[in-house]
Amino acid sequence: MGGPDPARRILITGVANFWGVGLARALLADPEVEQVVGVDTRTPPRDVAEGITWIAADLRVQELRTAIRAAAVDAIVHTDIPQFPEPGRAARQLHDLTVMGTLQLLAAAGDLPTLRTLVVRGSASIYGSEAAAPAFLTEEMTLQPGATRFQRDLGEIEKLVDGLARRRRDVTCTVLRLQPVIGVRLDNPITRLLRAPVVPVMLGFDPRVQVLHEDDSIAVLHHALRNPVAGAVNVAGPGTISLNAAIRRMGRPAVPVPHPLFGAVAGAARRFGLPPLSEDTIRYLRYGRGVALERMTNELGFTPRYDTPGAIDAVAAELRKADVA
Amino acid sequence: MIGRLRTILSPPAEEDAWGYDPRFVRAFQPFLDVLYDRWWRVTATGAEHVPSAGRALIAANHAGVVPWDGAMIGTAVRRHVGRDARALVLNWAFELPWASTAIRRGGGVPASPANARRLLDEDHLVMVFPEGAKGISKPYSDRYRLERFGRGGFVATALRTGAPIIPCAVVGSEEIHPKIAEAPGVAKLLGMPYLPITPTFPLLGPLGAVPLPSRWRIEFCPPVDLSAYGPDAASDRRLVLELSDAIREQIQAKVYENLIKREGAFL
Repeated sequence: MGGPDPARRILITGVANFWGVGLARALLADPEVEQVVGVDTRTPPRDVAEGITWIAADLRVQELRTAIRAAAVDAIVHTDIPQFPEPGRAARQLHDLTVMGTLQLLAAAGDLPTLRTLVVRGSASIYGSEAAAPAFLTEEMTLQPGATRFQRDLGEIEKLVDGLARRRRDVTCTVLRLQPVIGVRLDNPITRLLRAPVVPVMLGFDPRVQVLHEDDSIAVLHHALRNPVAGAVNVAGPGTISLNAAIRRMGRPAVPVPHPLFGAVAGAARRFGLPPLSEDTIRYLRYGRGVALERMTNELGFTPRYDTPGAIDAVAAELRKADVA
Repeated sequence: MIGRLRTILSPPAEEDAWGYDPRFVRAFQPFLDVLYDRWWRVTATGAEHVPSAGRALIAANHAGVVPWDGAMIGTAVRRHVGRDARALVLNWAFELPWASTAIRRGGGVPASPANARRLLDEDHLVMVFPEGAKGISKPYSDRYRLERFGRGGFVATALRTGAPIIPCAVVGSEEIHPKIAEAPGVAKLLGMPYLPITPTFPLLGPLGAVPLPSRWRIEFCPPVDLSAYGPDAASDRRLVLELSDAIREQIQAKVYENLIKREGAFL
């Protein structure tokens, strides 16, 4: 490939979230990196905050434009996109944060002459979960418009990235479509569900699921920064596993609930400490999702350390250790 | 027996990336064997035409309201060829509890060109019913008259992947649930593609779901090798339709031939 010079001055959005922190630490240890700029309204952990230039701002504020320009970054890693819609946050608020935030960021990026690389941590949720979906979705198989609000938001974000890629031919724009990331350090509806004392599943449904280990989810961001490819790339641990087999490996009891009652039961279970579930997650628990990984392997050249069953086993082992301690 | 039930009811212990679970298939097989040997007394011929390794596409006629024909072709292939055919299944089945899981663990996938192509590229044996829902839901008075083969998508997939097509004729499936009428209003209400009315269903309630013990014949024809056309021929609409029609006519002729050979439909 050869490619352009490696990025030296890098901007990370969402630098206080799981991926921002992980990537910032990896970049601070990378001798080729001169400066890391991080944007987040929340405070990153101390070691990160001390190593980077932290801009305590929301992506939607105008000051961001001047700050980005002053830093003269050559790469942007946009991690400030929720992997799941968090119920409890209004759909409109979520839309505002994700889509409007990305819009402002890409507008600022568009007239940044030094920029060469954009990496976006997208989500395989853009495909949704459909009964009749191909067993291995390839990157061009997105349905537009999506079935849920969150799918449509993700679609809009990718359209904005496409727009930038067309306007700025000198910038390589990569969207990584991550399958659900699981791990003990990470908090999202799927990890919370797998860690709950009992796991509600849909009676008679046992969907194929595909996941990515949390370590691999940070490694792929770093990898994409070094080997950017244009366009969307699916990212997951190879293979799939049926949900009930995954729950069994986790050592958690599965409680089958008839699917028409699932929403109501899941809602009632919140009072007993179970995580709230969004429409996207409920559909995922019914139909699952598998993606094709040819682009990840052949074009991005990334090999995850854990395949899907391996990631489940690794998290199960770590959880057991945590339970004993 | 208990062990088998446990395998069927518990989550898959071994499965491939498609969700196919060979242990589930083995645990379920004795039930299919009873249907094959005792209930429908299936005679299978031409199984030597089905390759024991490598990609191939079995294309069969579809009938009988409930798709038992797929399970019986699958059993014939397992017995005589020693491999599992992966069936392309009507998408609607994947909306259903239990059925969706059982079909997938048994090797079935939603019928789509993407799935068919990928399975064949991985050198699997794939089973397709080109008539689709039209075939399975046709009234008893139209029995053994094959429906249209749609746009011939299965031929395009075979051309793209270089897989030979094995035409397959099934006789007996039309008599298991003779459909005399339909209840489209109720079907729409329940979100079903069709709701059949047979002499026993819904009159006898759940008993009406028991298929009638017709006598079956399954014939596999010699493989049709399309590799000479090359993968680009898949976009030649006229060629695809011509090949699709030729295969349809061959299956139709074999269906008539086997109807004569069968003699009695039930005895």
